[in-house]
Amino acid sequence: MSAPTATASLRLEHDDIQGGVLHQRPSPYVGTYLLLRIDDRRAGRELIRRLLPAVGSASASSDPAQDAWVTVAFTHQGLKALGVPKGSLDSFAPEFRQGMAARAAELGEAIWRQDCYQLPTGRTSFGFKDGIGQPAVEGSGIPASNPLERPIKAGEFILGYPDETGDLPPMPTPTVIGRNGTYIVFRKLHTRVAAYRRYLRDRAADRKEEALLGAKMVGRWHSGAPLVLAPDHDDPELGGDDTRNNAFLYGHDRRGLKCPAGAHARRANPRDALDEEGSVDVRLHRMIRRGTSYGPILPDGVLEDDGADRGIIFVFAGSHLKRQFEFVKTQWLNDGIFIGAPREQDPLVGRPAGNGAFTIPKQPIRRRLREMPPFVVTRGGEYCFAPGLGGLRWLAELTI
Amino acid sequence: MATSETEKSGPGVSVASTSEFSLFFRIKPGHASALREALRALQNTPGYQPGDYNLAIATIHEARFVPFDDDTRLLFATSFDGPWDAYMEDFLTSGSTLALFDAVFQHVEGYEGLPDLAALKAFILGAQRTAGGYARNYPGTVKEIRKALRVNNAFQRVLDDPAAADALQHPALKPLLDEAAD
Repeated sequence: MSAPTATASLRLEHDDIQGGVLHQRPSPYVGTYLLLRIDDRRAGRELIRRLLPAVGSASASSDPAQDAWVTVAFTHQGLKALGVPKGSLDSFAPEFRQGMAARAAELGEAIWRQDCYQLPTGRTSFGFKDGIGQPAVEGSGIPASNPLERPIKAGEFILGYPDETGDLPPMPTPTVIGRNGTYIVFRKLHTRVAAYRRYLRDRAADRKEEALLGAKMVGRWHSGAPLVLAPDHDDPELGGDDTRNNAFLYGHDRRGLKCPAGAHARRANPRDALDEEGSVDVRLHRMIRRGTSYGPILPDGVLEDDGADRGIIFVFAGSHLKRQFEFVKTQWLNDGIFIGAPREQDPLVGRPAGNGAFTIPKQPIRRRLREMPPFVVTRGGEYCFAPGLGGLRWLAELTI
Repeated sequence: MATSETEKSGPGVSVASTSEFSLFFRIKPGHASALREALRALQNTPGYQPGDYNLAIATIHEARFVPFDDDTRLLFATSFDGPWDAYMEDFLTSGSTLALFDAVFQHVEGYEGLPDLAALKAFILGAQRTAGGYARNYPGTVKEIRKALRVNNAFQRVLDDPAAADALQHPALKPLLDEAAD
């Protein structure tokens, strides 16, 4: 693996890319997801016109005082309602045209408004620091968090640039709507925090073992410290150090004695763990994630469900819905064939039907957790498309 | 043949975790002997020789190239762990396997060479035909089978130890003792 390049020859059109695509959300944060239905195309276009000044570009100042922005994305139905011509509508990716409900029968009701804010702990409802392992985007000017991974080609995340295959990702027409745009997935994931805590409590001798089992399932400790670098106990200093908490590979831990092959973070991004297989190129399956938390925290130590709705709004940005989001979900999170454990799914987000198993490699004898109930329930979601700023203007100025 | 236990997985047929993958090509006129030479060379590549068990793709159980119809056509058939169609782009960007197959594909019609991935994908998908029947005699992925072989080899070494008979009497080892008599 060659050294990461700080500057790339390729120039991204930062002033046309929506800021939220390339830039990580601030911390702490508050926000709102709004799903609007467009009934009148002229009113819809007027809305876009008025929104445009609030939509920051990726070149906007990173001044914390101005760290508020709007990202606008459309469903296929939304583009249709705005009066986008049929030839253009038909040029979008087939997964996007079908919509998430058609791709996954188990999805539930639609979201209309969802407020989100960072919990006082700065962590997810399960108690973990999140959003750490973001891919570096070549040409973005944003430094890589993992110096051991070459930045990913911009075309994997932004349409109009070469991707990891060397080709341009399929782009909808006309160019103005496609270029500098990206596909967005959002899903509302309800976290069953009490069930998760109870499951760990029942299987751990003490709080220390409880934390260890939780870390083995996630691949990181609560602080964000990765198991590969901190195998035995949490290291808050490491977890809080963004120059070190993502600087690792799995090559020296093939058997998963430090971080289980089935751990959530290792499944979602196996790094170099599959390099010997010859059948998978992990660089084709990277995801920009912009997840946030919603709902109140379940106070520390509470093991009974309080009935509150809490969880994660999972947000993905990328050029390839199928080989990025859908591949990671179906091959790496919902299946275990790739790690030689076809009967195991992701310990956090897998097995909607429950009754999961999870193997924790350990000397002298591995431990296997069984009868895992679902800890995450998908409430709904949709596939969207976030055009570049020029694309938004084109939509606002449609006249048909 | 497998019927109720198989399920559609993309255009291939699968049994449990494993899917069949078959490609049919037309050999270019006059290229039959060169093709056979390329297949011999592939067979002599480290990893592909009998006893090596180290194919470039670690998730296939076995693979064969079969020239047929008087060396006018070529079959490639394999069994793959997972739905092969989900991994199509991965194959096409993984240099090792493609470089090996490139020498073979030179001699079949429709191949335009590396590295035009869109053309390559169309070439592969155009040659793929789904099996009318597919059955397997053991469950498990390559990873699981290799692990099972390692565990059995270890178990046989344990049985070769004169102290094994006594050691296996412990109640926790009963499932192993049940396998120890033959």
